[in-house]
Amino acid sequence: MNTIASQFNNNNRNHVHHEINESNGGYGGVDKLELTPTMTLPPISQPTDFLRAHTDDATNPDCKIKIAHGTTTLAFRYKKGIVIAVDSRASQGNWTASQTVHKVIRINPMLLGTMAGGAADCQYWETWLGTQCRLHELREKERISVAAASKILSNLIYEYKGMGLSMGTMICGFTKKEGPTVYYVDSDGTRLKGDLFCVGSGQTFAYGVLDSEYKWDLTEEEALYLGKRSILAAAHRDAYSGGTVNLYHITEEGWTYHGNYDVGDLFWEVKSQEKSFNNVDG
Amino acid sequence: MSRRYDSRTTIFSPEGRLYQVEYAQEAISQAGTAIGILTTEGVVLACEKKITSKLLDNDGTAEKLYIINDSMIAAVAGMTSDASILVNNARVYGQQYLKTYNESVPCEMLIKKICDIKQGYTQHGGLRPFGVSFIYAGYDDRYEFQLFTSNPSGNYSGWKATSIGANNSAAQTLLKKDYKDDLTLKQGCELAIKILSKTMDSSNLNSEKVEFATLSKGKDGKIIRKIWSDKDIDLLIKETGVLDAKDDE
Amino acid sequence: MDVVLGIRLKDCTLIATSKSVTRGISVLKEDDDKTRILNEHNLIAFTGEAGDTVQFAEYIQANIQLYSMRENDIELSPKATASFVRNQLATSLRTRKPYQVNVLIGGFDTKTGKPTLNYIDYIGTQAILPYAAHGYAAFYCMSLLDKHYRPEMELNDGLKLLEMSIKELQTRMPMDFKGVIVKVIDKEGIRKIDV
Repeated sequence: MNTIASQFNNNNRNHVHHEINESNGGYGGVDKLELTPTMTLPPISQPTDFLRAHTDDATNPDCKIKIAHGTTTLAFRYKKGIVIAVDSRASQGNWTASQTVHKVIRINPMLLGTMAGGAADCQYWETWLGTQCRLHELREKERISVAAASKILSNLIYEYKGMGLSMGTMICGFTKKEGPTVYYVDSDGTRLKGDLFCVGSGQTFAYGVLDSEYKWDLTEEEALYLGKRSILAAAHRDAYSGGTVNLYHITEEGWTYHGNYDVGDLFWEVKSQEKSFNNVDG
Repeated sequence: MSRRYDSRTTIFSPEGRLYQVEYAQEAISQAGTAIGILTTEGVVLACEKKITSKLLDNDGTAEKLYIINDSMIAAVAGMTSDASILVNNARVYGQQYLKTYNESVPCEMLIKKICDIKQGYTQHGGLRPFGVSFIYAGYDDRYEFQLFTSNPSGNYSGWKATSIGANNSAAQTLLKKDYKDDLTLKQGCELAIKILSKTMDSSNLNSEKVEFATLSKGKDGKIIRKIWSDKDIDLLIKETGVLDAKDDE
Repeated sequence: MDVVLGIRLKDCTLIATSKSVTRGISVLKEDDDKTRILNEHNLIAFTGEAGDTVQFAEYIQANIQLYSMRENDIELSPKATASFVRNQLATSLRTRKPYQVNVLIGGFDTKTGKPTLNYIDYIGTQAILPYAAHGYAAFYCMSLLDKHYRPEMELNDGLKLLEMSIKELQTRMPMDFKGVIVKVIDKEGIRKIDV
């Protein structure tokens, strides 16, 4: 058994666990019931170093595994609810791997999570978060609060800290108790509640537009346009963001999808309507 | 007396002269005439071709007219071989300036540069001065159309109309008489031909003995540098009627 | 990181530079002017490697002034000035110790009667732009300016736009850059504006 993995393997320590498994006639060493979460670790002595050596572009530009990184995502809270807007480009290093990635993860009909950083990490753990939220509902006969949901995710992420997870996500939802709520959760383990977040390589560009126009009393139409417009700003200036814009709106009734907009078409439409983007001819 | 001060270009004679420089200038006044006329619509340059032979086999391009850059032409009087060195220097400097500033070099700046090279050979090195004078026709957006001359001493000056080479004083007398401030380019061309026809030794003027160039502004504001073809020159000569006038005499 | 921002308006160009100088964890100065006047209608604003910046700007300043002295007080046009600066940086880049300086050149072309703004970075990229910024400021301001800039803006509109940009930087940039010095270049020449 791998030395590090064995440290984290509860089977070795938890006597109750052993007893239960044995009474069930646990065969083939497969756990039947887990009282505490367990982690499966890669068969390497130092997973952190391994990942850094093979995936960290900044320290080793020649690394073989390029994790999908470039993104712009945003979510903001206002009087009527929450607007979520994301781009759809997936880049691996300088390679645009896809232009049609769906970066909003529908955790459940009330909760949305955004995806920035490693696409696989976000997709896997936010779907996993969905299962945890459902279990919470079953156990407590009550919808999970956004605060609790985001904390489940951030706690999970924190356990893996320093082991190569790469995520920057916003967990968004609307509950009676909390109202429209946005939590920022990233792979450092940071978890922040706030009105307005932009995440990804294009975040600054999105902030630039969003900050200048944002106010609490936005109408729904204004808010949706602002979200879309901010992603467009980032898609225009950030090489690693682009493709299309996906728009979501969250109210007390849950989330609604507000469409997919090709950045190429949207740009010219916005330019001619707003008379903006004056640095571009045409 | 002068012998002692002849061989070295960089030594003044007791009378305060630089003989080699003066000899160079003398050499030029034997060379084919070149005339330059500034008009309201552009600049005219005309040169006399001294050596013509039916056996001469060149590519038909002008020998004494050089395009310096997009807005300058130079006419040469004197040693063509010396001239080509200076012209090359001028072209390189013109391109260097263009590369640095993304703008055409101002005419006077380029001429000054060439004259600094010429001047260098009157002061140090113990080498012979350049045996060439130039007439420059140029355009820049500071002073628009301009006409300059420079000589082996490294002096240069701006003109409305001028002449260098053989019979230059005669040509200048004629220019003084016939030059008007409101000349059109066409009138300038005709005046140049007329004067050449009078200062040149040969009796019948034709494209074999003349090189001709104009600098003017196109409708789009672009500068047109035109070194004339033999056909165009012959046509111009015919139009001015200098040949008919000769016949009448 | 220094803030260097430029906006070209209808008949003038605005240049704003941050006032702070920081080394390590200390603020050394809070009323620094990161611009140099090249001639009556050209202003250079700079940012980059400490030491290189002022050396380079003053070297350019001296050379632009030398040109005017040699050429009977004739001013080098904004376009020629920018080309010259670009050429210097491109030349320097190919030496053992290149200048690591990024600049904006605000100018007013007296011949065409138009204001100009040139963006040049230490690698020698030159671009004529309606608005430009260097460093981290660009990340926040470019999208904002993409949205709010209009070419027919007057000085007052421009100052409002600038105020908007500075406010965004003050809310989002981690560092206090101690405000900005704003200069205007128009047909009258160069002057400082109190903000």
